[in-house]
Amino acid sequence: MFKKALLALPVALAVGVSANADSWQAPEDVLQGLIDSVDSNYLTQSEQNLIMMPDNPALWTAMDGEELFKTPRGPNNVSLEACDFGKGPGVLEGAYVEMPRYFEDADRVMDLENRLVHCMVTLQGFSPDDPEVKARHGSNSDHMKLQTYIAMQSSGMAWNPPLEHPLEKALRDAGEVMFYRRSGIADFNCNTCHGEQGKRIRASVLPSKDAPEEWTKAISWPAFRVGHDNVRSSQHRIRGCYWQMRMPRINPNGDASIALMSYWTDAARGQPAILPDMKR
Amino acid sequence: MFKKTPVAAGIAAFAIILFAGGCAVADAGKTDKMDKVDYTAMTPQELAEYLIFEANGFVLDQEVQEGGTTMQRMVQDDLHKACSVIGGGDPDQATLDAVRTAAAESITYPEGGIQLGDWKKGREIAWSGFGYRVGHRTDDHSKREVGGNCYNCHQLATDRTGGNVGPSLTGYGKTRGTSDAILKYAYDMIYNPHVYFPCTNMPRFGASGFLTQEAIADILAYMFDPESPVNE
Repeated sequence: MFKKALLALPVALAVGVSANADSWQAPEDVLQGLIDSVDSNYLTQSEQNLIMMPDNPALWTAMDGEELFKTPRGPNNVSLEACDFGKGPGVLEGAYVEMPRYFEDADRVMDLENRLVHCMVTLQGFSPDDPEVKARHGSNSDHMKLQTYIAMQSSGMAWNPPLEHPLEKALRDAGEVMFYRRSGIADFNCNTCHGEQGKRIRASVLPSKDAPEEWTKAISWPAFRVGHDNVRSSQHRIRGCYWQMRMPRINPNGDASIALMSYWTDAARGQPAILPDMKR
Repeated sequence: MFKKTPVAAGIAAFAIILFAGGCAVADAGKTDKMDKVDYTAMTPQELAEYLIFEANGFVLDQEVQEGGTTMQRMVQDDLHKACSVIGGGDPDQATLDAVRTAAAESITYPEGGIQLGDWKKGREIAWSGFGYRVGHRTDDHSKREVGGNCYNCHQLATDRTGGNVGPSLTGYGKTRGTSDAILKYAYDMIYNPHVYFPCTNMPRFGASGFLTQEAIADILAYMFDPESPVNE
């Protein structure tokens, strides 16, 4: 019953489900497909999560997000159905796997989080300091509900961030520099942990940026983080990585975070997204 | 906000040039475009520096545990620059040699020579990941001792699970003995491992000031003391 209700959510998209990377596929099936295709300790490290995925708590978060998305809100009392996530107003299918992307109305490359902020402010009339816009973390935040719902509409589709616009390319390339840029008191960079396959930090198997089947899971956010008991975003993952590297707090509204995300999404290009995912 | 480091000063000058260039071509009426720099006119390296230091990419003015601000955690020193290779892997041999030479020059030894401290304290330091983290949760060094996070990357005693980013150090002293040469090697590896493995992933725990001499002595005891569970 639980499962049935949740599966009704993407049912319109699920018509003609196949392994094809341009049609919707349930996240647990996407992950199983990847596991079947490669030998990866990272993908298989949590048997419990694999069993739990059909009942992923993030599916509830997505349902809350759908409600929020379709409800007229903010001082302007409009829904987010007029928000363009890159494929036209209100079109969510496949939108997330093609982000970050350049948006002409903002003259800026945006990830999903920054695009949501843009629409909540310009369309719905929220102030950037309103809790709806400002609170980014936790399953109960509007952001996590909306991001999970929107991202889920791209599950099973191949990451395909556009690089046609010069700004998209510029940020992707700067993000690559950031990924390999060592600094700080511990001399780390992203590659310290994500440059080799099969490496562990304590008991946790790390995803390798150079193994696309692992990397798609690594960047498949939002995901329910079991250890946090909350759904988490890409921006939350980046914040945590810089914290572990002993580097300063990254600004989620800044272009540095979007550059890094442009690079990491490009590194998973062609692989199917697992949305929402479940992580340790 | 900026400390006058050469890197920061260079970037600031660079930004001013771009700013001036942007104004020159912009219509007088389009003032909103004038404070926008052209990302596409920069190299990826220039843009990365700009995004980090000039475009509000990070919180750079927070105080850090070693004194100063978070800015310095993003400013690269010579080793950082030499060992940041796009795509991963090592730089050329001449660069590796220069890193190795600089590492050798960075190492200082405790007065009275390398000593083994308390392996029980070393066990906790090797396990603890506490220290030097900043941002949304900042480690208060007055509340807890800084750890070395050795278990993140190394297996040591088998009663706890260690990572495998670095080699296993299980049975370290038992298999290698405690000669002056091996003690010096282990000390150097903790203090500045680039002397043996230029551009290694491992932090320079002594050269960076991350760990105190006392903490290093305790970790060495954990590695070498016959009583330590590492050598069971």
